[in-house]
Amino acid sequence: MISRRDLLKTASAGALALLMAPALIGSSFSRDMTLEEALKEHLGATLSDLTQSDKVRIKAPTIAESGANVPVQISADVPVEEVEALYIFADANFNPWVTTVELSPMNGEVFFATRIKLAKTSVVRAIIKMKDGTLLATSKEIKVTVGGCG
Amino acid sequence: MHLTRRDFLELAIVTGAYLTANPVTALAKMDYEDIMRFKPLGNVTLIFTTDIHAHLEPLYFAEPINLVAPKKLKGKPGYITGKDFLRYYRIKPGSLEAYFTSCVDFPKLALKFGKMGGAEYITTIVKTVIEERGRDKVLVMDGGDTWTTTAIGTFTEGKSVVDWMVYTGYDLFVAHWDYTFGKEIFLQRIKELEKGGCEFITHNVVDELWGDLVFKPYTIKEVGGAKLGIIGSSFPFTPLANPRQFVEGWSFGIREDQLQEFVNELREKHKVDAVVFLTHNGLPLDLKIAEVVKGIDVIISGHTHDVTPRAVKVGKTLVLIAGSHGKFVGRIDLHVDKGGIKDYRFKLYPVASNLIPPDKGARKIVERYRREVAKKYRLDDELATAEVMLYKRDTFFSTWDWLVGEAINDYYGGDLDVVTSPGYRWGTTVLPGQKITRNHVYDYTAITYPEVYVLKRKGKDLLTVWEDVADNVFNPDPFYQQGGDMSRLWNVEYEIEINGPQYNRIRKVLIGGKPLQENKEYLIAVYGGPPPPEEAILPDYKPVPVYDILIEYLKKRKSVRVRTKPNVKVLDATYKTYEECYGG
Repeated sequence: MISRRDLLKTASAGALALLMAPALIGSSFSRDMTLEEALKEHLGATLSDLTQSDKVRIKAPTIAESGANVPVQISADVPVEEVEALYIFADANFNPWVTTVELSPMNGEVFFATRIKLAKTSVVRAIIKMKDGTLLATSKEIKVTVGGCG
Repeated sequence: MHLTRRDFLELAIVTGAYLTANPVTALAKMDYEDIMRFKPLGNVTLIFTTDIHAHLEPLYFAEPINLVAPKKLKGKPGYITGKDFLRYYRIKPGSLEAYFTSCVDFPKLALKFGKMGGAEYITTIVKTVIEERGRDKVLVMDGGDTWTTTAIGTFTEGKSVVDWMVYTGYDLFVAHWDYTFGKEIFLQRIKELEKGGCEFITHNVVDELWGDLVFKPYTIKEVGGAKLGIIGSSFPFTPLANPRQFVEGWSFGIREDQLQEFVNELREKHKVDAVVFLTHNGLPLDLKIAEVVKGIDVIISGHTHDVTPRAVKVGKTLVLIAGSHGKFVGRIDLHVDKGGIKDYRFKLYPVASNLIPPDKGARKIVERYRREVAKKYRLDDELATAEVMLYKRDTFFSTWDWLVGEAINDYYGGDLDVVTSPGYRWGTTVLPGQKITRNHVYDYTAITYPEVYVLKRKGKDLLTVWEDVADNVFNPDPFYQQGGDMSRLWNVEYEIEINGPQYNRIRKVLIGGKPLQENKEYLIAVYGGPPPPEEAILPDYKPVPVYDILIEYLKKRKSVRVRTKPNVKVLDATYKTYEECYGG
């Protein structure tokens, strides 16, 4: 969950450039694609180019209270000066790309908190693109339960 | 005495027990002193109950025949039942302890040892321990699911239970079903508890929008000269498992990162000597917490109703859980000094109502509320006789749930294809030959949202829901489970591969004996879950409380024999039947 402090931290990160997926900003534009296609489009990379790293962390519920509004916090234990951008992908979404956040030293640290939409249970990935081109990544499964009339 | 007179006399004559002052003592080869025997240790005693489910009066409650586990968790505490349980904990079959902890021969042993639990007996145990140790050395805590799911709990809006808790001297509390009275009543009861000296602690409920803590996450107590930090956790999936409206605006979750921060805060800032975690998380989940969160000394778990006669050790953390329905009072004595916990001794006291003297004050509280509720809801009316044992707990199937399916279908004119409800772990047990009273019906169904809804659902949508629930039950990672049993499905048969792929475990579904058709619309009745959207409820079928349907049906049936054969075939794990535990 985003604490008020965290939210302010995010909001005050003036130099933070944000691109959001259509699903997130409610645009009707959407196109089905696979994770591989999304990675290629936004990072010019494939899954095997990602380096799994425990320096990158995702804080998110294991089971979402609502798929329409899932709080996700990404942080990474790397100097922000060495980071170019932070990416979030959700494998099972119709368009897996969720957001790209360009970071600058003014951000102070690698930290980003937001709420994302999940169409269904999905692996959510955080990818940190370093200036040297390395892609540090981690992932976490977030379940979206249909629940209700079970 | 809670045995029927005839059964009891037979037993007493056969065993010679009738010659003794307390025949149950003779049968159990045990008396009150044996139950209470405990060699005190160290400077701190924690007493705990959990999942009493508002059973202020003694009851029969059979442990489950099955707790079917995903392969990774098989054989771990939380997934051991029946004869395996007795072997694992070296408990003598046929003994009082066996009766309390396993399903083996339950109906037979019930006649011998009588009812379990009951507020007035719990109070006796708690007060006896406090007296022996001194109030300053003891903390009394409850793990939630305490105020509702019986007539006396639900129809007094939890007040009966709260009065008893205050009288008994509870110090700490966390919650789950208790939230289903809605925020206003919930907060009112919390206030009453706090006025009586019992603190509500919960770290994992935050304001949905801002993320601010809603409750005090932890408390610090001086106990026996030691400084203890106790963190609380309410059921992490309350808004999913129960109607969201009751906790609107609050967000739950496991929040293990936050938990780690609080543990660190207690140790570094407050310099506590030991950290205790009081939870309603469920045993499997808490066993994982013990692995991933560093620095917790003792976890006192709840929710999954498991019985741990010995503490489970995960690294340096002790994990304990005291069963359900008031059947046990847990006690752990700790030797705590500046260096942490040096030694411990643990016991679950069986609340054998025939062997423990009642606490008069507690009895008075219960009797007052009982009288009121019994009169208004005619709790003692006998509706029918049970010809087989009616029970609730099992991974997939229970005689009680099948009976509910029959009753609901009958009520709606026999039109239904499916009756479904969540696999709750609470209820009661009605012995073969026992009269089913209205009180029994409420023991199984008295919730704050009892309506049965009739809807149409396509075959494929039903399957999606069932797969979803199956993953909440059989996910090998406890952080992704919800701690209940599988949905109860009347008129449905299926096969299941527990270790099959996520959302692809269920096979060969038959509805009314015919293969499920993906695009066919089925007429289904649901109750006990989050309510369906209003527009989905068919106007021709009026929502009715499930207990009203059952009461009418039982009156009509008079004698109740339902199938004991499960409607589910488990393909990749052992699945035991009624006869193997409860006899033919």
